Amino acid sequence: MATHKAFTQEWLDAWKQKIAGSQEYKEIAKEWEGSVGLICNADPSKSIPNPVYLFTDYWHGDVRDFLVCDEAKVQTAKFIMTGDYARWKQVAKKELDATKALMQGKLKLKGDLTYVVRNVKTINKVIDLLTEVQTVWPDDV
Amino acid sequence: MELHITNHAAEVPFSFMVQELLTGNIEKSEAKYAVYKKMRGIAAIDLPDIEAAVSLHFGQGTLTIKPGISPDAAVIIRTQAAQVMDLNALNIRWGLPYYFDEAGRKVIGLLFSGKIKIKGLLSHPVLLTRLTIIMSVM
Repeated sequence: MATHKAFTQEWLDAWKQKIAGSQEYKEIAKEWEGSVGLICNADPSKSIPNPVYLFTDYWHGDVRDFLVCDEAKVQTAKFIMTGDYARWKQVAKKELDATKALMQGKLKLKGDLTYVVRNVKTINKVIDLLTEVQTVWPDDV
Repeated sequence: MELHITNHAAEVPFSFMVQELLTGNIEKSEAKYAVYKKMRGIAAIDLPDIEAAVSLHFGQGTLTIKPGISPDAAVIIRTQAAQVMDLNALNIRWGLPYYFDEAGRKVIGLLFSGKIKIKGLLSHPVLLTRLTIIMSVM
């Protein structure tokens, strides 16, 4: 199975492909509409010299743009999740539950929390599918 | 719509989630606002798996969130972080939590299996029901 460097466009494309190919996701996410921006804070000690900005867009079970982007683009997202590199890595490796991370303040969410809680199964499924992407992490190289 | 919610539990990140969730829920619904204005008493939420606990002090139109479990709490909901979301998913029908659909049956199952423990379930049903109503995101 192909591996992808984390936070690259290829990695995002692989994630998008996983989501697009999931019938279960289509069912769970049929109510979801809107984009989610992901921000990984800079951590030079982990080979992340600058913040990473990712834009992901979902629409009623379909997936639209998945882009490595700039800060301005990420700020246009309906929801923005921010966290340190170590947290994102834990989430993507299924070592940390994203919901728990939000409750513990390890990840921060900007956007309508009630909408997110109402659609928490969608969020969990998207993250489950991320854990299936074979990832090479910058600090593991 | 004045909610008068004060958070004195800044050291518990979960408290901000509770505050935001309740604010969002109540502001979106006149019915939930009416319920909120009737609420009086202390309810606590304890999530031992993430070592987070908050007490919600309701005063008929005011809410003060404090860290930890108040010894005066009439209702204490103790569960795992992931399961507290199931309480938020309860539907409200005819002004009451509805336990006869998928979300409701799941909560009943969690109660019977002991995965959600509620102190005050029988002794303070009004406060518990009202809390469930304003916590529901549905």
